[in-house]
Amino acid sequence: MNPVYALSEDQRDCLQEIVNVAMGQAGDSLARYLETFIQLSVPKIRLVESSELVPELQKMSEGAEFISAVRQGFFTAKGNAQIRGEAIVVFGDESFHELADLLAYDGELSTQDQTELLLEVANILSSACLIGLAEQMDVELGFSPPSVIGQNITIHRVVNADRLNWSRALFVEIKYTLEQRSFNCSLLLMMPGEAIDAVTATLDLLLAD
Amino acid sequence: MNQTQSPELLQFIVDRIDVGLFIVDTNMNVMLWNRFMEINSQIKSEQILGKNLFSTFPDLPQKWLEKKIKSVFLLKGFSFVSWEQRAYIFKFPHNRPITGGVEYMYQNLVLMPVKDANGHVDKVCIALHDVTDVGFYQTELQRAMHELEALSRVDGLTRLNNRHYWEERLSEEFSRVKRYGGSLSLIMFDLDKFKHVNDTYGHLGGDLILKKVAALVKQSLRQSDVAGRYGGEEFGIILPGTDKDGALVVAEKLRLLIENERTDYEDKTIRFTISGGIVELAETHLRHEELISHADQALYFSKTHGRNQFTCYPLPVSEHH
Repeated sequence: MNPVYALSEDQRDCLQEIVNVAMGQAGDSLARYLETFIQLSVPKIRLVESSELVPELQKMSEGAEFISAVRQGFFTAKGNAQIRGEAIVVFGDESFHELADLLAYDGELSTQDQTELLLEVANILSSACLIGLAEQMDVELGFSPPSVIGQNITIHRVVNADRLNWSRALFVEIKYTLEQRSFNCSLLLMMPGEAIDAVTATLDLLLAD
Repeated sequence: MNQTQSPELLQFIVDRIDVGLFIVDTNMNVMLWNRFMEINSQIKSEQILGKNLFSTFPDLPQKWLEKKIKSVFLLKGFSFVSWEQRAYIFKFPHNRPITGGVEYMYQNLVLMPVKDANGHVDKVCIALHDVTDVGFYQTELQRAMHELEALSRVDGLTRLNNRHYWEERLSEEFSRVKRYGGSLSLIMFDLDKFKHVNDTYGHLGGDLILKKVAALVKQSLRQSDVAGRYGGEEFGIILPGTDKDGALVVAEKLRLLIENERTDYEDKTIRFTISGGIVELAETHLRHEELISHADQALYFSKTHGRNQFTCYPLPVSEHH
């Protein structure tokens, strides 16, 4: 029997609120770190079926034919909730020089440098949001190192649609842009299956307060 | 209530674990330096505790590493360094003094926030993992895979790109130019009377000629041009950022090179020529196959109007003889 993962109205509102607060904080700390104003869109939260993953990714990349993507795993390090998920950062185009500048890289960028940049940016964007969320939900998170899914690949190559072993996942989508610099990317936080239950359980605790 | 771990046990683990562990504060002063770090750096903890990390190790990429450590203080998240982008941060000796293969220990680093009682990050703990073996084998594996990839992209005889891969590249370039603008031209050509060459000199002679053509094609290409063996004796050249006139220049250069080439085979000298078609990407082209088709039409025109020449698409209006 397939369990049905769902969010009630109250849980959804609660989640939207804490995600908004977490994003605000993330934007602040990122701005301080990068020493430039960074814009985060209002996060979009929804439950997605595995069959909708690729169309969702396509919408996210706004029809860009070639993208670069980085993935990173996260999990709870303590507490009862078993929250496991993945963060994917999709870069519409690689404004390397902009990024290099912000992250203290000097001179010519080798291929290794470019990959390292992608990984670094993905890591700080993902973890800033996740840490903010974790604090709001009073859980402690652990992270796995980020890895490149692909550079200049088509959106279809981001996930192997045949190999998805979950039916439904919780999606949080945030778009990032930098003021005065031509840089933009999207962050997708995904928690499949049982993690949804863990999240709703945590939300219930918060709602009870 | 949880039983707290014995401090002696924890101390033992931190000290003896096969992982480098050190801690820095916001001034980059070292607050902890375990045995792994001592042994590999030859710097004892007494020498470094309380001192600045970068003054003790002037070879470290300071600007970049400090920025990374700062990200942990400010963003309170983990940060990672992978040997795949930077083989090593510290110049430590590796565990392959005999079998060798690498210069220094390959390292992965994990930077972790250490919070004080108020939840404020006041220290960063860095774990340094020796991944020399992983690095060594992965590098070998990647090398083997690149060779394998090259084999499946390359035409065995001519060593040019094979049709499948070359057409993939054309398709990608086509999409790119359609979306982002720019110019793109295509040259398709084949050997004149190649059947005759094969009949006269045998297949070995024919193969030799094909190899010759491939070599001369490579000579005529500019950095971004992509050549491929499209068919038995048909070749294609993708010229990004090039218009019709530019492509014609490349084509003519090649045609002349080939016309002047003399190939010795057994006791004979083989001479041959090529005919081809050129097309430039236009608004009306909707698929890359259309480009090939138009270039082929122009190629056919060259064949039926004397050979040893290149024709540009759209075809010239027929003259009345």
